[in-house]
Amino acid sequence: MFIAFHAMLRTAGLKVGLSEWLTVVRALDDGLIGPSLREFYTAARAIVCRDEADFDRFDLAFAAHFQGVALPVEIAKPLQEWLDSPVIRPALTPEELAALDRYDLDELKRLYEERLREQDGRHEGGNRWIGTGGMSPFGQGGQHPGGLRVGEGAPGRGQAVASARARRFRNYRSDHVLDTRAMAVAIRKLRRLERASRRLELDLPETIDRTAKNAGDLEIVERPERRNQARVVLLLDSGGSMDPHSRVVEAFFSAMKQGGGLREVEVCYFHNCVYGEVYSDIAMLKRKPTEDLTRSVPPATHLVVVGDAWMAPRELFADYGAIEYGMLDPVPAIERVRQLAAAYPRRVWLNPIPDNYWAEPTIAAIAQLVPMFPLTVDGMTAAVAQLLGRGTKAARAVPRSSQRVFG
Amino acid sequence: MNRWTGTKTYLADEGLQTTVNVAVALGRPLLVKGEPGTGKTLLAQAIADGLELPLLTWHVKSTTRAQDGLYVYDTVARLNDSRFGDRDVRDIEQYIRLGPLGMAFDQSIPERRVVLLIDEIDKADLEFPNDLLHELDAMRFRVSETGREVAAAARPIVVITSNAEKELPDAFLRRCVFHYIEFPDEALLTKICRVHHPHIEDALLAAALRKFLQVRSIPDLKKRPSTSELIDWLAALKLAGVHVEKIEQGLPLPGVLLKQETDTQRAARLRAATARS
Repeated sequence: MFIAFHAMLRTAGLKVGLSEWLTVVRALDDGLIGPSLREFYTAARAIVCRDEADFDRFDLAFAAHFQGVALPVEIAKPLQEWLDSPVIRPALTPEELAALDRYDLDELKRLYEERLREQDGRHEGGNRWIGTGGMSPFGQGGQHPGGLRVGEGAPGRGQAVASARARRFRNYRSDHVLDTRAMAVAIRKLRRLERASRRLELDLPETIDRTAKNAGDLEIVERPERRNQARVVLLLDSGGSMDPHSRVVEAFFSAMKQGGGLREVEVCYFHNCVYGEVYSDIAMLKRKPTEDLTRSVPPATHLVVVGDAWMAPRELFADYGAIEYGMLDPVPAIERVRQLAAAYPRRVWLNPIPDNYWAEPTIAAIAQLVPMFPLTVDGMTAAVAQLLGRGTKAARAVPRSSQRVFG
Repeated sequence: MNRWTGTKTYLADEGLQTTVNVAVALGRPLLVKGEPGTGKTLLAQAIADGLELPLLTWHVKSTTRAQDGLYVYDTVARLNDSRFGDRDVRDIEQYIRLGPLGMAFDQSIPERRVVLLIDEIDKADLEFPNDLLHELDAMRFRVSETGREVAAAARPIVVITSNAEKELPDAFLRRCVFHYIEFPDEALLTKICRVHHPHIEDALLAAALRKFLQVRSIPDLKKRPSTSELIDWLAALKLAGVHVEKIEQGLPLPGVLLKQETDTQRAARLRAATARS
C-alpha cells in the first residue's frame, strides 16, 4: 500500500528519492507516527516536501491515494490509451460553458460507469464519450466546467470536480521553469576578485614572514580585502510583448541583484528597442540619454540586455522608428545597438523567446551585433561563458537571406 | 522520549507538534519556513523549553561562513601571545574557539542533548548550506589544527529557519524535515492573543481581531501584518486606552500593523470606501 503511495507521489511530480521514502518507512516502523492518518499526513509531508510549493502536489497525491478520489488503476489503463495524444480544441465561450450540464459527483460516477460499459474505443472532441479535448464531462483536457478527470495528461480547464479537495496550498505552488538559484550560481562566475577595497584585512602569511625575518619581533602586515569588481549594465525590455515572460525576467532580475554579489548593477529599461534615450526607472519616467551608457565604460563592465528583440522591422531599421509617444530618435535603433556593441566588448543579449524563432528579421539583425542566448539556465551559463571570453559561439539561428537587410 | 506539545506561551497546532516530534526522533534538522512574524525563531526556544534542554543560537548574517559555526582558530591572539603574552603558545588548543555548531556537538555533560537554532540560513552565501552538509549529517568534525575530533554524543535537535530570500540547495533540503508555519486561523489567533494578553477585555479583543483580519485581507499588501504585529498592536491599544468603538470605526495606531507607506495608503482608501457604503 505504501509503495503505491510512493509511486503516486512521484507521479504527482514530487522528487521523492529512495532515501526520503525509507525515512518515512523508518518513522512508521519506529512508531514515531501515531495510528491516525492525519499524523501520517503531516509527518510524511514534512519528510517528503522541500518547499511549501510542493504541498499542493502532495495534497493531490494523498487525496488520490487515501480517499479514493482517483479511479481504480485497472479501469483507467485501457482508457489511458484512448486519452493519449489529445487534440487541442479552442476554448469555449462563457455561453457555451453555461450550456453544458453540470453534475454532482455521485451522478458523475454513475454516468461514468454507464459510459464505460458502453464505450468501445477512442474519442476526441465530442460531448458524450470518455475522450480528450471535448465537452463531455468525462476524460481529460476537456472544456466541461464540472467534469470527471480520467487518467493522466495535460489538464484542460482543470476544474474536474473529483480533484477538488481542499488544496489550501495551491497559491504557494510555483512551477518555476527557471530556478533563481541555478541562475545566481551562473552569474557568480562573472566575479572578478581584486584587492581594491578600502577595508583592510590581516595578511597572515606576510605577517609571519616579516615577523620571522625580524627574529620574532612582531610586525603586522595588512592588505586590502578582496572585493568583486565585476560591473554589469543591465538593459531590460519592459514593452508589452515582454509581458508573457515577466516571471522569467523577474527570476533573472532577482538572481542578478542578490545572487551574483556583483560590485555594481546598473539597470535601465527600454521599450521595444534601445533608442536615443533609456529609462532609469521601471515606471519609465526618468529618461537618460543612451549615449551616457556608451561614453567612458569602466573596464570589466558587462552589458546584459534582456528582451525579445521582436518588433516590426521599421521600428528597428527606420529613422524615427520608435512607436513610443515622445520618443523621437533620428537614428535607427539598429544603429544604437551597434553603438552599444562597439562600447562593450563583453556583451550578451538574453532572449526569452525560444531560439527556433530567432530567424525573425529583427531578432536576427540584433543577434548579429550582440551574441544572443535563450533566457534559460543553460542559456545563462553559456552567456556567462561568452562574457568571460571563453564561450562557444552563441547559437545564432540566422538564415543567410535576412542578413542583407543591414549588410 | 517525551513528546513535545508546545509550551504555555507557544501554542503549536497538531501538525507542527507531529513534525517537531518526527524531526527530533529521526535526528534530522527541522527546516521551518513561513511568513515573517509567525514564530519561526521562537519555535526553537519553545522546543528547548518544552523538552527542558539548553538552547544554542547561531544567527546567520550575510558574511557568515560555515567554518565560523564549527570553530575559529584565533591566530592573532596566538601571535600576540608569542610576543607579549604569558600563555604557553605551544598549546594550540587554547586558541581554538568553538562556534555554535561546535558547541552543540561538544558537550561537557555527556548524553545531554541541546537544541541548536540556525536562524535565517538564507541570509548567508549561496554555498553556505552545502558547506554544512557533512557536519549536519555526521554530527562530528575534526579540528585540523590540533587533530581533535569533536563529535556529538547525542544528536542535537537542529532547527533551521529560512525566509526564502534565497533558494536552498536540493542536497541540503533532502536531509531536512520541512515545515511551513501557516498563518493561524481565527480560533488559534484568539488563543495566542489570550496567552500574551491574559487580562484583555473580550470586546476589545474581538473588535481588534476583526479589524486585524480585515487589514490582512486587503489585496496586494506589500507586507501583511503578522501575529507578532497583532500582539504588539493589542499592547499598544491597551496602553493608549483606545476605545472599542474607535477600533470598529477606523484603524487606530496603524503604524504598529503597517510598516510600508503604500500599505497605509491602501488601508486608508479601504476605510474610506467602507465608510461610504
